[in-house]
Amino acid sequence: MSHDAVNIEGIKREPVLMHKHAKFCIRFLNLLPARLASHDSTRGAIAFFAVCGLDVLKSLSLLSNQMQKDVIEWIYGGLVTSLEDGQQSCCGFQGSRCVNIISNDEQLQANAKCYQWGHLAMTYTGIGLLATLGDDLSRLDRKSIVDGVAAVQRPDGSFSASIDGSENDMRFVFCAAAICHMLDYWGNVDKEKMYQFIISCIRYDNGFSQYLEGEAHGGTSFCALAALELSGQLHRLDEDTKENIKRWLIFRQVNGFQGRPNKMVDTCYSFWIGAALRILGAFELTDYEENRAYLMETQDNIVGGFSKWPQSTTDPFHTYLGLCGLSFMNEPGLAEVKPSLNMSMRAYNHLKHLHAQWQAESTDDKFATKETPASKLNSDDKSTSDTSPLIKAQ
Amino acid sequence: MSDSDSDDWSEEWIPYSQRAEWADVVPLAQDDGERPIVAIAYSPKFREVFDYFRAIIAHKEKSPRALELTADALQLNPANYTVWQYRRDILRALGSDLYEELDYLEEVIRDNAKNYQVWHHRRVIVEMLNNPSKELELTEVALERDNKNYHAWQHRQWAIKAFDLYENELTFVDRLIAEDIRNNSAWNQRFFVLKHFGLTPEVVQREIQYTMNRIRVVKNNESAWNYLGGILRHGDHGTVNRNVEVISFCEELYASGVRSPYLLAFLIDLYKEQCLQQTNEADAEVLSKKVYNLCSDMSKNHDVVRRKYWQYVADQLKLKLSEK
Repeated sequence: MSHDAVNIEGIKREPVLMHKHAKFCIRFLNLLPARLASHDSTRGAIAFFAVCGLDVLKSLSLLSNQMQKDVIEWIYGGLVTSLEDGQQSCCGFQGSRCVNIISNDEQLQANAKCYQWGHLAMTYTGIGLLATLGDDLSRLDRKSIVDGVAAVQRPDGSFSASIDGSENDMRFVFCAAAICHMLDYWGNVDKEKMYQFIISCIRYDNGFSQYLEGEAHGGTSFCALAALELSGQLHRLDEDTKENIKRWLIFRQVNGFQGRPNKMVDTCYSFWIGAALRILGAFELTDYEENRAYLMETQDNIVGGFSKWPQSTTDPFHTYLGLCGLSFMNEPGLAEVKPSLNMSMRAYNHLKHLHAQWQAESTDDKFATKETPASKLNSDDKSTSDTSPLIKAQ
Repeated sequence: MSDSDSDDWSEEWIPYSQRAEWADVVPLAQDDGERPIVAIAYSPKFREVFDYFRAIIAHKEKSPRALELTADALQLNPANYTVWQYRRDILRALGSDLYEELDYLEEVIRDNAKNYQVWHHRRVIVEMLNNPSKELELTEVALERDNKNYHAWQHRQWAIKAFDLYENELTFVDRLIAEDIRNNSAWNQRFFVLKHFGLTPEVVQREIQYTMNRIRVVKNNESAWNYLGGILRHGDHGTVNRNVEVISFCEELYASGVRSPYLLAFLIDLYKEQCLQQTNEADAEVLSKKVYNLCSDMSKNHDVVRRKYWQYVADQLKLKLSEK
């Protein structure tokens, strides 16, 4: 790693410990200790950070073919596909397998199934992970998954994570947009309402809030801008608005980045704010050296991984986002990252290749509405009827 | 990643398999696929509780004992949204006393104040009860522990909006800002409350005074400066350059030697707006020079981390003026 050791001015720089980070990522794909059991519902996300981390480290080859196959099979194992008795679609990937049972009893299986729901964050990370591993997504019924996305869009244009029992906010707006973009299909998702929700969350200080009138937040601002880009609506923001948002984002830099004014710097915001600025084409206005120096303070030099603060516990989330943050600054040895999708450009190009294939093959009736303008697809009864469990839950 | 505690078999813990009242239930193992990844080495207690949870869900059992079981499961993993969902379904089926549920949640929230699922459950229960009488106190307690807890603020705003609890909120916000003048969440709440009551010219004027007084105390406070800008732009159609009092306040601060980046950024915005509105070319040039000098001073001295940004701001103005 001699290229890491010295920068252009000849000052010695802390090296990114590529190999140790790769080993750190692999460790999380294997067995987690019992004390991490509270992450049981987000194992798919941990897998995403670990595999995409290896990808950004250009080290996917460290995963054996068998391991890559295991990852793909396990992800598909969490896919909810069926749509029975005209119920609302619950399609997508599950978070945990906690209600997937081993039993030959059909009735028990059917009952357990009533609580097996797709979760937008898990569907987003699941598809992203499959694309990263080069899967052709042929086992996914794109329409049923996007039906699942449309089914959790709320009357205000935002999205919940699942058909019932979930809050709705900007995080799931981003997940919805990422899923539809990755599948190159928007179906009955109402892009116009989504746009209206996003811009209604621009706060008085020009950051985006998680929900109407909340406090502006760095992670949320990423979600909002990425969703606008992925849904092809970023151009709808006028120049003054864009400049104001840039200002709020740029002001988050201390050395690394903070998520809100007067809050502590945290490794993950080198990604959230960095990616948001990348989307607006203004990332180069930040101070790379300060940002890098902070990130390197949060690197664990012994076992690899990054933590949110110096001398804190490392985890896959901060490790992956720290690596992406470094990639934005063109760190030698790291792969290029597509900011709005939070995955490598290589994986994104694989998706683009699949899109071209699908478009060539697309004679299937179910995609006939694809080019229909969003406004014509807005049927209010799809997720907002009185019988909707979403309404009851709220 | 936080670790889950109390995973071990404590002395009082009796395994479900040894409980007479559970003898009729056959626990069901998790189907995690043939070769699971990110597998968790579940403790025996975790595994057993969830095996019984799977059994009750597969038998659609909604009973008092099932309700108690969900509490055990949630103690082991409070982020499991499926368990919360099933717990709600049991509560509905049994017609349980939801005030007891509120008491239970108060404890759970105390230990898991940054958990989305817990707060969501709280919200649904409050909606079912149609009674928000405990929510302001609950969130106040959570904010005493962490005055910027996004979940607590979100729940508080929801309760205030849904049940029209605005009445005393400004007093609460005043107190929080007095306790921590840099609490951005409290400034945001202030905007939220006043917007509800109406940002009339009188209110805007009062808020400008309020904010200037707090900037006098701490000049380098982004939250207060952002609030000032937000209030001014709200009242003056997106600009900050029409309030004579604020302009002289800022210019006096500058003249007295204050070089807070937020003050300078405010002046840059102010002169830039005035410059672009100016029809007299000579006056416009004076104003543009002010902007360029301030940007340069920021880049070199007061906001070096954003030096490229301030250069960009100056360049943008030059470009706009050349297009005029």
